[in-house]
Parts: sequence; C-alpha cells; structure tokens
Amino acid sequence: MDATLVALVTQLFTGLAVGSLYVLLAVGLALIFGVLGITNFAHGAFFALGAYVGLTVLGRTGNFWLALALAPLVVGLLGLAVERGLMQRIAARADVMSLLLTYGLAIMLVEIIKLVWGKTGYPPTVPAGLQLPVNLGFAYFPAYRLFVIGLALVVTVAVILLLERTDWGLIIRAATQDREMVSLLGVENGRFLGLTFALGVALAGLAGVAAGPIVGIFPDMGTDILIESFVVVVVGGLGSLRGAIAGGLLIGLVISFTTLVWPAVSQLSIFILMALVLLFRPQGLLGRAA
Amino acid sequence: MRWLQRLARRPMLVLAVAFVLLPLVVPYYALASHMLVFGLFASAFDLLLGHTGLLSFGHAAFFGVGAYTAALAAKLFDLPLLVCLLLGTAAAGLWGLVVGALALRQRGVAFAMLTLAFGQMIFFVVLQARGLTGGDDGLRGIPIRGLGVPGFEWRLDNSLHVYVFVAAAVWLALWALQRVLASPFGHVLEAIRENEVRARACGYDTVRVQLVAFVFSALFSGFAGALYTFTLYFVALETLHWTLSGYVALMAILGGSGTVFGPLVGAGVFILLRDIVSTFRDDWQLFVGAAFVLCVLLFPRGICGTLQDVLARRRAPAAELPAPAVAPTLARQPREG
Amino acid sequence: MTDTPAGAIGPATLKADGTGAPLLETRGLTHRFGELRVVCDVNLAIARGELRAVIGPNGAGKTTLLKLLSGELRPTSGRILFKGRDITGWPMHRVARLGIVRSFQITHLFPQLSVLENVRVAVQARHSTYNFWRRAEALPGVVERARALLEEVDLLPKAALPAGVLSHGEQRHLELAVALAAEPELLLLDEPTAGMSVEDTQATARLIRRLAERLTIVLVEHKMDVVMNIAQRIVVLHFGEVLAEGTPAEIRANEAVQDVYLGRGRAAGAGA
Repeated sequence: MDATLVALVTQLFTGLAVGSLYVLLAVGLALIFGVLGITNFAHGAFFALGAYVGLTVLGRTGNFWLALALAPLVVGLLGLAVERGLMQRIAARADVMSLLLTYGLAIMLVEIIKLVWGKTGYPPTVPAGLQLPVNLGFAYFPAYRLFVIGLALVVTVAVILLLERTDWGLIIRAATQDREMVSLLGVENGRFLGLTFALGVALAGLAGVAAGPIVGIFPDMGTDILIESFVVVVVGGLGSLRGAIAGGLLIGLVISFTTLVWPAVSQLSIFILMALVLLFRPQGLLGRAA
Repeated sequence: MRWLQRLARRPMLVLAVAFVLLPLVVPYYALASHMLVFGLFASAFDLLLGHTGLLSFGHAAFFGVGAYTAALAAKLFDLPLLVCLLLGTAAAGLWGLVVGALALRQRGVAFAMLTLAFGQMIFFVVLQARGLTGGDDGLRGIPIRGLGVPGFEWRLDNSLHVYVFVAAAVWLALWALQRVLASPFGHVLEAIRENEVRARACGYDTVRVQLVAFVFSALFSGFAGALYTFTLYFVALETLHWTLSGYVALMAILGGSGTVFGPLVGAGVFILLRDIVSTFRDDWQLFVGAAFVLCVLLFPRGICGTLQDVLARRRAPAAELPAPAVAPTLARQPREG
Repeated sequence: MTDTPAGAIGPATLKADGTGAPLLETRGLTHRFGELRVVCDVNLAIARGELRAVIGPNGAGKTTLLKLLSGELRPTSGRILFKGRDITGWPMHRVARLGIVRSFQITHLFPQLSVLENVRVAVQARHSTYNFWRRAEALPGVVERARALLEEVDLLPKAALPAGVLSHGEQRHLELAVALAAEPELLLLDEPTAGMSVEDTQATARLIRRLAERLTIVLVEHKMDVVMNIAQRIVVLHFGEVLAEGTPAEIRANEAVQDVYLGRGRAAGAGA
C-alpha cells in the first residue's frame, strides 16, 4: 500500500474516533431535544464533569474501567436532579427559556469544576493497557482510539436496542414524534422525562471520560465541543437519533480530513458544511421534512 | 405615582438625565461607558428576542464585526472617527443580511443554532487572520480619534471625553431604535412575535419582515461594537466569542426583555456587578450563571418587566392582566419539525 | 345533482347562481399527509357573492381545505384558481394580498396587543409594512378604518383592552374584524361560532349574513341550524371527498348525508 493511501486510511480512523465522541454527545443531545424539547446548553458542562469524575475515580482506584462505569452514573444522577429540580419548573415555558436556563447552569457547572478540581487542566494520559499502537495490517493505529470507536459503537447499539426493544424506548420514540401524544397516553410523565434527561447527560459524561485521554481534561473542555455537537445535531436533523449518529461520524471525518489537507480551515469547515446542509436540505440529513 | 407616569411619557428625557447622572454614581468613567455600550448592544439584541420573538445566539458576531471593522478603518486607513463608526455599523449590517437570509429558513432552536454557528465562523476567521486582526492577542495599536469637527476637536483620549461621546451616541441610537419600535414596522414585529401565522394571514411577508428586523438589530449591534473600539482602543477576540452572545441574552432578560429600556438596565446591572464581583472574586462567572438560573426561574420578566407589572397592578388592581410577556410568547413559537 | 357520488363532479359542472366564471375554483384539489389523504380530488366552483358552507364529520378535511385555499398548506396535487389566476402554491401572504383571507378556528389573535392594535396591524398590511419612522398611531386612515371594523363587530367599547382578556365570543368577533381588515374578496371562516352560547351564535350568524351582502364567504361550520339558515349552497365532505353538494333543502333530503350524519355517521364521526 502506498504512503498516501496509508495516510488517508489512518486519517479515516482518526476521523471515526473523533466522530465517535461526537456521536456519543449528539445522541444524548438529540434524545433530550426530541423528548423534552430542551436544547441542553449544559451538555458540554456535563461532558467536562464526566471527565473530572472519571479522573477522580481513576485517581482513587487506578481502574479506568471503573471510571468509565461510574462517571456516567454520577453525571446521570445529577442530570436527574437537575431535571426534577429545575427544568420541571419551566416545562410549560418550553424551548427558549430552557435554552437560557441550561446555559446558566453550564456556566455554574464549569465554575464549580474549577473550584473543586482547580483551573489548570491535565494533559491527555492514555490508560494502561491501551497505550500501544495496534497493527491494522497496513499501518499502526493507537489502540485507545480504536477502543473509543468500539465503545461508541457498543453504546449506540445499546441505545438503539433500548429504543426499539423496550417499553420505555417505545414511549421515547412516540415522544420524539409527538410530545403531546405521550401525555395523552397517560404515561407517568415526570419520571419518564427525568430518566430520559438523565440518560442523555449520562452519555455526555461517558463521552467526557472517553475524551480525556485524547484531548486532555480541563474545565472548558466542553465549551467548543458543545457547539460542534449542536452542529452535528442540526446537520443530522433535529431530534433524529440516526441523524445524530450519521452527523457525528460525518463531522468527525470532515474535521479529520481538512486537518490533513488545510489545517487552518478545519474548525471552520464544519460550519460551512452546516450552512450548506441547511441551504439544500433544511431539515438536516435524516430529519423529517417539516 | 402621578409623577412617575408623567415621566414615563418622556422616556428619552429621563434617559438623558440618567446618562448625565450615571458617571457620578459609578466608580469610574470607563465603566460607565461600557455600561452604555453594552446597554445599546442588549437593546439591539432585544429588538429580535423581545420584539420579534427570535432568539439569536450569535449576536457577538455583529458586535465584534462592528468593533473590528471600525478598529481596522482607524488603524489601517487612518479614517476619521465618524467614518469608522459608520463603516463598522455597515459591515455588521451586511453580515446581518447574509446570516439573517440563511438562518431565517429555520425557526426556534434551529434558528438559534444557525446564528450561533455563523457567529463561530467569524470567530475562527478572525482568529486565523492573525496578521490583520492580532488573533487571540486582540487588535492593538488603534490611533486616538477625535470628533474631527472643525472648531470642536473633541479628542477621545481620556475616559471623560470618551464617556461624553459614548453617552451622546448611545442616546441617539436608542432614540432611533425607539422610533423604529413605535413605527408601523415595529408594530408588525410585535404582531409577528405574538402570532406569526396570523400575521401571514393578514398579508405580511413575515420572513421578509423578520429579515429586515434582523438587519436592523445587526446594524445597532455593530454600532455598539464600533463605539466599544474607541472606549479602550483595543478589541479583544472575546468580543466575537459565543459566550458574549450568551451574556447579551442574559442582560436583556435580566433587565426585562420586550420592555423599552429593560435591556439597557439589565446590561448596566450586569456590567456593574461583574466589575464589582470580579475585583474580589475570580469565580465571578459562578454568580453570572446563578443569576441566569434564578432570573429564568423566578423573574422571567426581568427588572423592568416586573416593575411594570407591579405598577400596572397598582393602577388597576381588579383588571385582569395580560400574561407575562417573554416566556409564553416564546414558548408559543411553533417548533419546526 | 342532489346525490352526487364522491369525486364524480367535473370541474366545470358547477356554476352557482348561473353566473359566469366563478370567483374561486379548485380542480382535483388533493392533500396527503404521508399515506393519509386528507383532502381528495375536490372540485369546487364558488361564485362571486355566494355564501357557501362546507360541512362534514370530524376529520372530514374541512380545516385542511381552508388551509389549502388560503395558502397555509401546499396541495399535493390539483389546482386553485382565484379570479381566473392560478394561485396554486402561492405563499399565504400573497394569497391574502390577492383577496383570500381566512379566520382561524382556534382563536388566533395577537394576545398582548390591544383590541384596537390587533385590527390596526391587520389594516396596516394593506398600507405600510416598511415604514420605520412614523408613529404607528399616526398613520392616516388606518386607525379610523380599524375603529370602523370594531364598530361592525360590536367591539368598539373594548378597543383599549388587551385582546387576551376578552371573552371567548368577543375574541371570535375580533378574529372576524382582523380577517375583514385585510379587505378580502373571499372570506374563509373556520367555525366562527365554535364554543359560543346560543345568543352569541345567533348574533354571529346575523353578522355573517350581513357580511355576505358584500363579500364572498366560505364557511366551515359544525352547527347545522346555522348552516341551514344562512348558506346558499352546501358542500358535504366525508373522508376528504365531496359526498354531496347542493342547496340546504337538497342536502337535508340527501340520503348519503343523512347516513353520515344521523345513522352510522355518528359512530363514524366519533371514531374519526
């Protein structure tokens, strides 16, 4: 295999790894938006919180797998509390107010992270056992990035199974189609909404733990990636889970390849992509037409 | 209460008096200048949120484009102050036309996301164009400007002169904004905010009207940004970051979105509190976040809106009051899906 | 003509009152939501000056028909002609400016504007959108016209109140005034008496009849007594198709209509 092709394929895998993080974030965002109608601006802060909780668990136990399991749980519980305690109060006032509320919450969370864990970040440290490059047959590729791709795959499949095989999933799917229908069905709304929000932010927390060894851990780590995740959701189609998955991978690849070809525009490229999608397909790639 | 009502009928006069008194109560002139500049910015932003029912989350871009354009006009071409301000305003308006035309294909949250993304586009362009803009170091070396009127060379080289100029400019801009809101066009905006489908049924091309409103908002935001340039002779990259877009939303809501001077008051309170809190706590943003949360939960009508309600209730205790402005009207926006 | 099978009417067979070209004509008008055909091959010809009622059980597609005619929805297929012009697919505001204006079933007001402002904004649509400088209250003629419209619907005494605090019946009347403000030639009324008391219903029916003297009206209505009293011709929709069409007397005597409305119709209506 010639060198250019190897570089391209390596970049493809890098793009998939980055895209996997976007997928984890965007699926949570799309879930929350679809079911609760909330644009969760605190999603990036929950992402950072996940990374920090993971860091603490790792520091105490030295076990990365435990961190990977516990951090989403902690973040999810906090999400449940937030939904029950705050979001509920403005449920009737819907989307724009919830956007502003979660934005305020995001600012607070980031500051709290700074108070608890300090302002300086931690450089990326790949967990033991995943440090070696893996031979893909044509090139070596960092094992950890392969792991992230696999993790996102497993989690996404699990979420899809949850949605398609369980009663809860059925209600979620119904709710993304028509939110008012669900209350008509007599579903016990409160707990259902809270759990969905918790699941969404738990995915963000999981993404945070997974992202730490790639991008490092710092209080503002969720700020820019939040905006990028929104781009993913809009490109994929607001409220569409499959759209979030496709959009996440697409954006990851676009970033990865523009970094290779023309680094200066890599951050810009996704916004251009989004503008193009909205011009030619306003409902997003996999969104339903209005 | 009589005198209050009489004063309320002459808002621009009240404002002029307030602008004269402001530097006497605020710790230093530059702070007072910033309160007014951001007050204008928040008012321009609220032309969309409070009066048209559109939440833009990318308004920092218009403020920033105004600021950078005015700064570059002064630095590279040594143009006079008023021309710099004009260019900054026009550049923001042009960018507003582009963003508005694209973003208004969507409504609600998707609209907010689009404006946000376009704002980030400008942010990255300015960050990359380091040679011209100074990148993340900000733009420095802007020459001192004066009013440039023969016989009245009011040089903006000290904070008092700056304040006087800024106060006059902001007063004029707010007066113009007021006129727009009270004009037939302004009433069409209110109608669209209240019920877009209905406005369309009346024969209004609502998307076109909203685009015009968007450009107006960008123009006034750009003017505020251009003024900001000459308060410090320095433009920070942060003026373009989306966090400022968030702050300006907070200012408007804190003061009372949809009220005439609420955004101005909200911006003043925000800038003042930030200045005070940040001198003795470096986690001042924690308070910003908490203010945001409390405001949305407890006072969605903001300072001026709540005040208005109280006054109205006192005047007509028996009459039913219309529902609170901001929240429900926004909630009623049909979600595209 | 009294017992017309569904969808069998040709486009040009109907010319109400024997006058020439109809003011509004639809040809094969169809609208689908996904697989569901909500309006199916509807051919209408409405003469200038006519008061036409559209009735049918719940889910028959009446409101969708109005949405199609007013440009709020784009038909899947078929054409709409108004004053001889093909307006199929025109956006709502252009349709409104050409002269078709609809009132809404669910009261669709500007709740925080005053009663007068509601009408004034609507009147203004004919005069001035992009006037940024003048005071809105000072537009010549607009306020006078708005007050005249309020007078017509008996709401002038309440002109200064916020529209949101009006009673239900009053809001429906304001809704009418707002629709009239756009100076329609064809007024589409979507259940103008829904939820009204008997007295209010009668007053509204009188108002509609008065309006019909100078306007062409298409009226979607549930209350049979109202329809039978004031409509000149009636179209019966059933599952999106035209089940029957004719004068009130003809419709009353129509067996298919009786089936839908009386016998099996009750169950079908409830189930829809």
